Amino acid sequence: MRPEPATPNRPLRMLKTALSRYWGVIAVLVIWQAWVSISGVNQIVLPQPVDVFRDLVAEPGIYLRNAGQTLLLAALGLILGMLLGTVIAVLAWSSTLLSGILTPLGLVFSSVPVVALIPVIARIMGYDLKTVLAIVVIISFFPAFVFTSAGLKTLPPGSSDLFRVLGASRWTRFTRLVLPSAVPSWMIAFRLAAPPAVLSAMLAEFLMGTSGLGYLFRSAASGFQTERALGTSVVATVISVLCFTFALWAERAVLRKWN
Amino acid sequence: MTDASSPVAHLSPVRPATETAIDLDHIGKSFRMENGRELVAIDEVSLKIGKGEFVALLGPSGCGKSTILRLVAALEAPSRGRVVVEGREPEDLSRAHRLGVAFQDHALLPWLTISANVALPFQLAGRSVDRKRVEELIRLVGLAGFEQARPRQLSGGMRQRASIARSLVLHPDVLLLDEPFGALDAVTRRQMNVELQRIWTDERITTLLVTHSVEEALFLADRVVVMSGRPGRVIKTIEVPFERPRQPAIMRSAEFHDLVDELTLALEPEEAA
Repeated sequence: MRPEPATPNRPLRMLKTALSRYWGVIAVLVIWQAWVSISGVNQIVLPQPVDVFRDLVAEPGIYLRNAGQTLLLAALGLILGMLLGTVIAVLAWSSTLLSGILTPLGLVFSSVPVVALIPVIARIMGYDLKTVLAIVVIISFFPAFVFTSAGLKTLPPGSSDLFRVLGASRWTRFTRLVLPSAVPSWMIAFRLAAPPAVLSAMLAEFLMGTSGLGYLFRSAASGFQTERALGTSVVATVISVLCFTFALWAERAVLRKWN
Repeated sequence: MTDASSPVAHLSPVRPATETAIDLDHIGKSFRMENGRELVAIDEVSLKIGKGEFVALLGPSGCGKSTILRLVAALEAPSRGRVVVEGREPEDLSRAHRLGVAFQDHALLPWLTISANVALPFQLAGRSVDRKRVEELIRLVGLAGFEQARPRQLSGGMRQRASIARSLVLHPDVLLLDEPFGALDAVTRRQMNVELQRIWTDERITTLLVTHSVEEALFLADRVVVMSGRPGRVIKTIEVPFERPRQPAIMRSAEFHDLVDELTLALEPEEAA
C-alpha cells in the first residue's frame, strides 16, 4: 500500500484524498494483519485479512447470490413497508376516528423490539423468506407512518387559506397541497428506514433463515469458517454503506427540488 | 399627469354610485380567548364597496382590518351582522372561483415553478390552464424569464409579484389584498405600488386592500377607510381625488402630502389632541 512515486497531479491527488479519508480503515487492516502475524493466533479465532480477501475473490458466487437475496428482500420490504406506512398515515389524516385507532396502534406495534417479533412471526408465517420480508416491512413501516403523518400537517405558510379562497375541492386540496407537502418528510423517512431494512433482513436471516447474508454468516461461524464469516461482514458493511449513501443522495436530490 | 388634458372624463376618481359589490352590514367579530374571555376584534363596521371600486382599509395593527378581509373571503364568519358579496354569501364567490387573493405570506408552493404557481388557480377550479393568460400576467408583473424558476430562487419582491399575478389569473370579480407588500423594503414597496396601480387600472376589479401604509392607500385606492384600534370601527373615510392612471409623481404633490397628513392624524388621535 505504498504511494506510487511521482506521476503527479490527478492520480496522486486522488490517492491522497483516499488516504486522508479512509486511513482509519487502512490502519485497522494493517494492525489486524500485523497482530495476527506477530501473535500467531489460530486461524479459527482470527484469520488474516488476506485470507478473508482470498475467500471473497475465490467464491464470489456464494457471496453475490446471498447478498442479492438479502438486498432484494430488504428493498421489497422497504417499499412495501413505506407504502403501508404512507397509506395508514393518509387514512389517519383523513378521519379523526381512524386517527384515534391507528396512531396508538402504530406506536405500540413499532415499539416492540424486532428481535422479540421474529420468533413469533416465524411461527405464524413459517421459517422462510416470507417471514424475513414481513420483518423488513414492519421495520420500514414505522418511520414512514410517523414522518408522513407529520408531513401531511406541515403545509407551506398561507397555503391552506389560499386553497380555501380559490375554492379547491377536498380531493384537489389533498392531491395538490397535502400530499406534495409531505414529500420532504417522506424522504427523511426513506433515508432513516433504508439502512435498518438491510440490517433487519440480515438479522431475520441470521435467526431463522435458510439463505441470505445473515444465514451465510451464521452457518460459516458455526462451521468455524471464520474467513467466510468475516467476508460476509465485509459484504454486509459495503451494502449498508451503499444503501445509506443512496438514500442520502435521493433525499438531497428531492429536497433540492422541493424546498 | 400627462393624461389630464385628454378626454378621459369617464376615469373621474369619484365614481357614480353603481351597484354594490361588497356589502358589510353592521358586522362585528368577537373571538373567544383561551382564558374564556371574549375579545372584540371588530365592534361594528358598515361598509359598501361599489363594483370596480378600489377601497383601502387603513389602521393600526390589531384593529381588525385583516379580519374584515377574512370575513369577505369566507375564511371567518361574522359574529354579528351580515356580509354580502356580489349579492350572495361570501362562500359562493370562492366556490365559484371568482375570488383573487394576495396575502403578506406569498403562499407560493415551493415545489412548483413560478409559471405553475401562477397557473394553480386554473387547476383548483378544474379548468384547463390558459397558457397565454399565465404568460401575459407573468410579463405584466415583470417576471418574464423567471417562468421556470422556483420561489426560493426569487427575491421577496419577485415572490409577491408572482402572488399578485396568481391572484389575477382567473379574472376574479373581487380582489382581496392583505398587506401584500408588508414584508418588503420601502423602495421595492413603492415600485410594487406603481406596478400594481398600472395593472389594476387595466383590469378594474373590485378591490379591498388592507394596509398600514398611508402612502400606499392613497396612491392605490379610490377611497380610504380609516379604522381605530381595538375594538375596530370606522373613524374616517376619504375619497381620493387623483385621476387614473396615476403617475408616481403625484406622491410628491402638495395635495398628496396634505392627505397623508390628514390620514396620519386620524390614525394617531392622541397626538392630535
